[in-house]
Amino acid sequence: MLPTLGITGNVLLMERISTRTGKLRPGDVVFFRSPENPRRVVCKRLVGMEGDQVTYVVDPKNSDKCNTIVVPKGHVWVEGDNIYNTKDSRNFGAVPYGLVEGKAFWTLLPRRDFGSLAPKPK
Amino acid sequence: MGTPSVLWNVAKKCFTVGVISLTVSDLFASIVPVRGASMSPTFNPKTNSLLDSLSDDRVLVEKFCLSNYKFSHGDVIVFCSPDNHKEKHIKRIVGLPGDWVGTIYDVVHIPEGHCWVEGDNSASSLDSRSFGPVPLGLVKGRVTHILWPPHRVSSVERKTPRNRVSPS
Repeated sequence: MLPTLGITGNVLLMERISTRTGKLRPGDVVFFRSPENPRRVVCKRLVGMEGDQVTYVVDPKNSDKCNTIVVPKGHVWVEGDNIYNTKDSRNFGAVPYGLVEGKAFWTLLPRRDFGSLAPKPK
Repeated sequence: MGTPSVLWNVAKKCFTVGVISLTVSDLFASIVPVRGASMSPTFNPKTNSLLDSLSDDRVLVEKFCLSNYKFSHGDVIVFCSPDNHKEKHIKRIVGLPGDWVGTIYDVVHIPEGHCWVEGDNSASSLDSRSFGPVPLGLVKGRVTHILWPPHRVSSVERKTPRNRVSPS
């Protein structure tokens, strides 16, 4: 999740109200249980809600090939900010909404990043 | 003793009971009604399609299994539907990660972190044969006992189908 989150680890504040009321929007940084290991909670950026059309680069290190899919019902599409080194929906597919735990809205540590999270870098 | 202080005491007691029961139901166990006939004859054995909610089975769902997500073949679990996170389903685990499960058309490999669920009543059950393997993170609890109706109070046994699953 570089450059939004640092290598040495961050402490974020997560709220669960937005997931319950369905107020998540593309661009939010969300926490969800990994579909590959239910004991691990993963932090990525929400890119597409159900029904959205998402275009993504399949393998940014090797080629420029893009793929477009429609996010299935009840699922969300998540991507890490550092597309060259991330395991996200391009690897494990759309994530069911029931796995989303909460939305990160404030950075506590490190001190120089204290404040709300940066939007997705272009 | 004025009415406001009586009301305040009642409000305090209601709030305390509410918080305690929410904590118990989230962390330890809760009681859930079973709707539909997809788990006949284990739950709701009467096939009357006009089941009214008073005659539904009520089962005890334990949440201790959520600390390390270790399930066994044949466990009955409660999970959020992958297509609609507001719906919960009750089905039996037929395949665990790494297994190969045989359906009518082909053999499916269960990926890491997922499980294959099927209802006991294959004829009328919306399960993994329709929506595929279910991520284990969607599981909300494991059914251990039937608590209602009184003449069917019992523990829920593990049942594995034969010749359908090849373990990893």
